[in-house]
Amino acid sequence: MDKGRVTYCTDLEKSVIITNFERRGWIQVGSEEEWNFYWSFTQNCRNIFSIESGYRMNDNQIINHFPNHYELSRKDLLVKNIKRYRKELEREGNPLAEKKEVTLANGQTVTRYIHLDFIPVTYVLPADYNMFVEEYRKSPQSTWIMKPCGKSQGAGIFLINKLSKLKKWSREAKTPLHPQLGSKESYVISRYIDNPLLIGGKKFDLRLYVLITSFRPLKAYLFQHGFCRFCTVKYDTSVTELDNMYVHLTNVSVQKHGGDYNSLHGGKMSIQNFRLYLEGTRGRSVTDKLFADMQWLIVHSLKAVAPVMANDRHCFECYGYDIIIDNALKPWLVEVNASPSLQSTTHSDRILKYKLIDNIVSVVVPPGGIPDARWNKIPTPEALGDFDVLIDEELMEKEDSAPRNSKSNRCKP
Amino acid sequence: MESIKDDAIHNTAMKLAEELKNLSIYKSIYSDVQKLVSSPNVNKEDFKQSLQQAMKEKGLDTKLRNTVFHWVRTQGKQSKLDPLTSLSKASLQWEKRIHKSLNSMCSDLETSLAKIRSQSEQEELTEKWNELSTYSLDLSKYRPVYAPKDFLDVLLTLSGYVPFTREDEPKWEFSHLPLQVKNLEQLRKIYVEWCNGEPLLGVNPNMPSTVPGFATLEAERIGLGERVSALGYAPVIQEFLKKGSPQCLRARLWSQVLGAEVKQQQIAYFNQLQKSVLEVDLMIDKLIFKDVQLTASNDDQYFVFEDLLYQVMLCFSRDGEVLSRARSTALTVPVRGRNERTAFPPSGVVPFHGFTMYATPFCYLYDDPVQLYYIFRAFYIRYWHRLHYISTHPQGIVSLCLLYERLLEAHEPLLWIHFRNININPIRVVFKWIMRAFSGHLPPDQLLLLWDSILGYDCLEILPLLAVAILSFRKENIFQVNTLQNVDAVLADLSTISVVPLLQLALMKS
Repeated sequence: MDKGRVTYCTDLEKSVIITNFERRGWIQVGSEEEWNFYWSFTQNCRNIFSIESGYRMNDNQIINHFPNHYELSRKDLLVKNIKRYRKELEREGNPLAEKKEVTLANGQTVTRYIHLDFIPVTYVLPADYNMFVEEYRKSPQSTWIMKPCGKSQGAGIFLINKLSKLKKWSREAKTPLHPQLGSKESYVISRYIDNPLLIGGKKFDLRLYVLITSFRPLKAYLFQHGFCRFCTVKYDTSVTELDNMYVHLTNVSVQKHGGDYNSLHGGKMSIQNFRLYLEGTRGRSVTDKLFADMQWLIVHSLKAVAPVMANDRHCFECYGYDIIIDNALKPWLVEVNASPSLQSTTHSDRILKYKLIDNIVSVVVPPGGIPDARWNKIPTPEALGDFDVLIDEELMEKEDSAPRNSKSNRCKP
Repeated sequence: MESIKDDAIHNTAMKLAEELKNLSIYKSIYSDVQKLVSSPNVNKEDFKQSLQQAMKEKGLDTKLRNTVFHWVRTQGKQSKLDPLTSLSKASLQWEKRIHKSLNSMCSDLETSLAKIRSQSEQEELTEKWNELSTYSLDLSKYRPVYAPKDFLDVLLTLSGYVPFTREDEPKWEFSHLPLQVKNLEQLRKIYVEWCNGEPLLGVNPNMPSTVPGFATLEAERIGLGERVSALGYAPVIQEFLKKGSPQCLRARLWSQVLGAEVKQQQIAYFNQLQKSVLEVDLMIDKLIFKDVQLTASNDDQYFVFEDLLYQVMLCFSRDGEVLSRARSTALTVPVRGRNERTAFPPSGVVPFHGFTMYATPFCYLYDDPVQLYYIFRAFYIRYWHRLHYISTHPQGIVSLCLLYERLLEAHEPLLWIHFRNININPIRVVFKWIMRAFSGHLPPDQLLLLWDSILGYDCLEILPLLAVAILSFRKENIFQVNTLQNVDAVLADLSTISVVPLLQLALMKS
C-alpha cells in the first residue's frame, strides 16, 4: 500500500459517498483491487465473508456491514432475538426482565415486560400461525399489520382487521399459512400501533441513525440528526381507510407516490424541532423520558443480537432505526435497516446525509487516518462529530475498575 | 401635603375603576368579587380588610393587578395624530393602493369581495375544517397583494426624500426623516441584563448555575420560571422573560404576560369567528390559503402545522377587535346574497406574502387552535402590526429601518462603505428579516429566544440590532461579493446563527 494513500471502493455511486471520500483525498479502486475502505451492498459484504470466496481481509481493510447483520435487520430474526434475550434475562432472574400485569383498553389483562416491552406483539408467519390465532382471538377487534420479512421500504405491507382477510390473502397469494405446509417467503404480523402520536393531525415515525463499531464489547453511537417522516394524509383509523397506505405508512418511498408529496420538505421534520415541539406542548420531563426510552430501546435491541453477531473487527455498520411513538409517548421499535437510504430528497436531507457519512468515517477510522482493524476503536471526543456515545462496554468496564476517572466517557445518562 | 397625594391616588383609582368597567373581563371579575363577599371569608365588621385578604387568597388580587397592567399597556396607543403629516399621508395612500389592488384583482377574476357561501360549500368547509389542506380551491390566479420588497419600495419613497439626480449617488437612506432613534449606548441602557453579561438562556444551557441547589443554568431557569408562572403576576413574568424562557414553560408564560389566556368567553368568541368564516366567503380567504401554501406548507419546519394555520389565519381575518385595537382601516363592502355590508376584511389586515409567518412559530408552543389564535392575535396587536404599517412610532417599521441604518453606519463603517461602493442599499438585504420579525429565517428554537426578548423588554429594537449583528458576523464574506444576488446568497442561510450570543456580543461593551 502506498503509504498515506487510502483507497476506497463503493458499490453505491452516490455523490454523498464519493464527495466525502474524495474530500479526504482517498482514491477510488475496484473491488478486486487493494481497497482500505469498502462501502458495500449487504450481499457483496456477505460474499466477501463467505467461505467460498476465500477472501481474507488484511489489517488495513474495513467494511460497512457485519456479515450477519440480518439478525438485526430482518424483521422475523429481530423479533426472535429479542424474545430470546428477554427469556435469558428472565432465566437469570435479572430485574430487567421483570413483568407485570397490564390492563389493555379493551379490558383484557395481559402480562408484559416492564422494561423490555418495546416491540409490538409480533409473530412470524407461517411458523407461529397457531400462536397468532390464539392471541388474535383474545382481542378480535384489533388491527394487525403484515410485513414480508425480507422486503423493505414499505413493499408488500398491508393491514388486516379480520382473520378471514388473512385467510383470503393466503389463498390468493398461494402462501400457505400452516407451518406444516412450508413456505418460501415468511411474514411477520404485529399488533398495529393504532394510537400513534399525531402532530398537526398527521402520523409520523422517527428515523434514527445508530453506528456500531463492535458488538462484543458493544460500542454504539447515536447520530444527533434524525428526523420524523410524516404521512401526507390525515390519520384515520376507520375501516374505509384501512387500505389507504398513505395514511398508515410513513416510508418516503411510499409517500412519494401520494398526490400531496412535497419535494421541498419531503414530509420530513428534524428531530431537534420534534423535541422543541414536544417540550413546548407537553413539557420537559415527559420529553426527556421519551428520548431516554428511545436510547434504552436501541441499546437493548443491540444487546439482544450481540451474542449471535459475527463480531469481525473489520466491520462497522450504520443502522437506520424506525421508531413509532404512541400517544402515551411510548416509543415502539418498528424495524432496523442495515442499509438506510442515502438518497437525498431535500436540501436539508443532503446536508444531513453528507454529515452522517463524514462522521461515520471519522468514528471508524483511527486518528492516523488509515483504516486499521487492530485499533482499539476508542474515538476521541472530537472525532465523534455529531454522534453521541450510546454505550461503550469497554469504557464502562474500565470505569468500573477505575471509578475516579469518568471524564473520558461522553455517554449520556 | 399627604392629603393632596392621597387625593391624587384616589382620583387615579376612580379613573381606573371607570376604565375597568368598560373591559370585557369586568363582568367576570365583578361576579367573582360578589361571590367572595357572600362567602364566610369576608365579614361585615372588618369588611375592607377581610375582602382584601380573601381576594389575595383566591388569586383575584393578581387578576386585578394583571388587568390593570394589561390596560395600562394598551393606553397611549391610540396615539394622537402622527406628528409627521407627510408620513400619515403616505400611510393612507399606501392603504388606498392595497385596497385598489384588491378591487382590481377582484374584477379581473370576476368575483366579489364578499359573498354568502352556498349551503353545499358551507357543509364542505365545515366538514374539512380540521384538514383544510384538503379543501380544494383553484388558487392559480391569485397572487399575494404585495411582498416585503414592494413595501420597502414604498418606504424608500417616503416624503422628505429628494430623488438624487446624479447617477453615482446611491438612492437610499432613511436618515433624512426627522425621527429620533436610539443609539447603541441608549440600547444598552434598555438591555441592561444582556449588556452586563448576565447568564442568559440560549448561550449554553448546561452552564453551571450560580444559584445554590441548581446544577445548570437551565435547571435554575426552569425552577424560577415555575415559581414565577405559579405566581401569575404579569410584570414579574415580563421581567423573567428578559433572560430567556425554558421551552417547557414558554407557552404558559407568554400567554400570561400578554393576558392571552383562554377561558370560556374566548372559546365562544373564536367559535363566532369560525362561524363567520363558514358563512361568508371573502376574497381574502383565497389570499390566506395562498399565503399558507406559499410559506408554511413548503417549509420543513412548519409544514406539519398547515391545517392549524389555515384555521387561525382565516379566523383572524374576521376579527373586528383587531381592527379597533391595531389601528388599521378597512373597506366597507356589500355582501352578495345578503342585505348587509361588512368591513373588508373585518380585521382590516390584508395579508402580504409571508404574513402567515407571524403565526407559525407559535405552533411549537400550542397545539390547540384556540390558544394558538389568541397568542398570535396578542402578538399581532402589540407588535407585528407595527412592522407592516407606515407610522412614526418608535417601534414602527420606519424607525426600525432608520435604527438599522444608523447602527450599521456607526458600528460597521467598512461594511457601510462597501455597500455604498457596490451601490446596494443595505436595508434591502435585511428588510424581509425585520418585517417578518425573522420568522421563517431563523430556526424555531432561535426564533423563540428572540421573541422572548421582545416580550421581556417589550420592544422591537432587537430586530434591527440582530440584523446588524448578523451582517457584522458575516462581513468577511460580504466583502468578497459585489452584487445584490451574491450578498443575498451569503445571508440566505441563517440556520447556524446563535441569536443570544450574537446579540449579547453586540450589546456588551468591548
